[in-house]
Amino acid sequence: MRYGRLTALRDLTFAIPCGSSTAILGQNGAGKSTLLRSVMGWQRLAAGEIRIGDEHPQHARPRLAYVPQRHSVDWDFPITVRGVVEQGRYPSLSMFRRLGRPDHERIDASLEELGISDLASRQIRMLSGGQQQRVFLARALAQGGDIFLLDEPFAGLDLFGCEELTHILRNWAEQGRTVLAAVHDLAIARSCFERGVLLDTSLVAAGAIGEVLSPENVERAYRGGRCVHTGHARDPRPEEAKP
Amino acid sequence: MSLHDLVISPFAYEFMRRGLLSALLLGVSGGMIGCVLVLRRLALMGDALSHSLLPGVAVAWYFFGTSTSALFFGGLAAGLLTALGSALLSRLTRVKEDAAFGSLFIVFFGAGVALVSKLPTRINLTDFLFGNVLGVSAGELRLAAAVSLLTVAVFILFYRSVLLETFDPVFHRATGGHGGLVHLGFLTLTVLNLVAAMQTMGIVLALGLFLLPAVSAYLWCDRFITMLLVSIGIAVVDSAIGILVSFHAGIASGAAIVLCLGAVFVLSALFSPRHGAMGTVRQGAARRPAP
Repeated sequence: MRYGRLTALRDLTFAIPCGSSTAILGQNGAGKSTLLRSVMGWQRLAAGEIRIGDEHPQHARPRLAYVPQRHSVDWDFPITVRGVVEQGRYPSLSMFRRLGRPDHERIDASLEELGISDLASRQIRMLSGGQQQRVFLARALAQGGDIFLLDEPFAGLDLFGCEELTHILRNWAEQGRTVLAAVHDLAIARSCFERGVLLDTSLVAAGAIGEVLSPENVERAYRGGRCVHTGHARDPRPEEAKP
Repeated sequence: MSLHDLVISPFAYEFMRRGLLSALLLGVSGGMIGCVLVLRRLALMGDALSHSLLPGVAVAWYFFGTSTSALFFGGLAAGLLTALGSALLSRLTRVKEDAAFGSLFIVFFGAGVALVSKLPTRINLTDFLFGNVLGVSAGELRLAAAVSLLTVAVFILFYRSVLLETFDPVFHRATGGHGGLVHLGFLTLTVLNLVAAMQTMGIVLALGLFLLPAVSAYLWCDRFITMLLVSIGIAVVDSAIGILVSFHAGIASGAAIVLCLGAVFVLSALFSPRHGAMGTVRQGAARRPAP
């Protein structure tokens, strides 16, 4: 994947099984966001392809739910918790249709599942960090997809918020939802995710989280700040589905 | 002076009726436009945009005289040129978009002032800059009605896209929204409204009719739709009061309307219980998120 002349991410081959939770790891600039964007189909690939099921990302959009970073929105925006979660239903409505009963039921269910029903009419600034994150998750849930892409969901959460989120994401994977998240913190990645993809502008390792975060791999990905790989990129190697 | 003299009799004059109607119509659309400007933090860009209309209007005036449509397209061309020009400039050079916008609009404005003062026309620069409700022609009133109607229609039809693009552009894009298109459409609407408001409000003050009701509403409302409605309400009521003040006090209509809107804004900023200054002071440092 390239930005202009800059190759952000290359030599990457791996598979993510359905119903698993995967952390995308690596230091800043390693290509975590680039990978997420590519899966969303926003980034034209310089070479290779990404398939979701059998489809190109652009066609698999109804299956994908994207959870942006928490600081990407203005929390002073005049909108309530329910208003945000309703947005999850917008993509499936045509221009003249209003939210129908099934939409409202789905919104209620999403609020319920994330335990924020009683906060539904609050303005979103009046929430804790963890609650704000849950609002985003509820919106993603309301979209009705089964693949969740999260950009740094743990960023800026306190300890309690992190634990809560870990609990939710684990639950999701158990329910057969596929979770793919860019994660900064290796300890959180270990405790929350089954699988990992370790990046350093190219693939360092992919597979079960324990193996991916072996001391050698971590050493290689995080060695002495930013380092540009020249010539000795790993062979792209297809990843088997079983951890 | 009786209430009748104060409120009703001024509208015995044709120009006052036209001025009032035009201000009311643009209050409705401007109140909506303003909300998006405020929430997307484009307030200063709107200001820049309004200034940049001048050369287009001046050139149109020179070639086509008082033809409303010519003025309209002249202003539109200048506004869009500034918007697109600065977008292009920030893509192609090191200059960031705000600096590009700031530089372009001031050059446009300078060119406009030069043109107006040099061209052998009967344009009154003061009217252009600060508005003159006396001059609202039937054609301009029709224009205001058309622009207002268009704006309201677009907001109703694309309400969800507008909301998503304003609140969370990344999510909008992730769900297949056309953010760029929405943004461009919004800029066009803004320019249309500015041009339409030019006669009553003046180029420099037109943005006040959009921005001030929206910031005031922002201080009171916790829902997007209520913010839109409150903003419209404030814009409409204050336009009417402003026109009357302008009539009785003999000041430029744009200035009178902006001052009325300004009063509402100051009161809101001070006394809004949740988001105003008094509220913040009263709660002290306890403006943290509730548990």
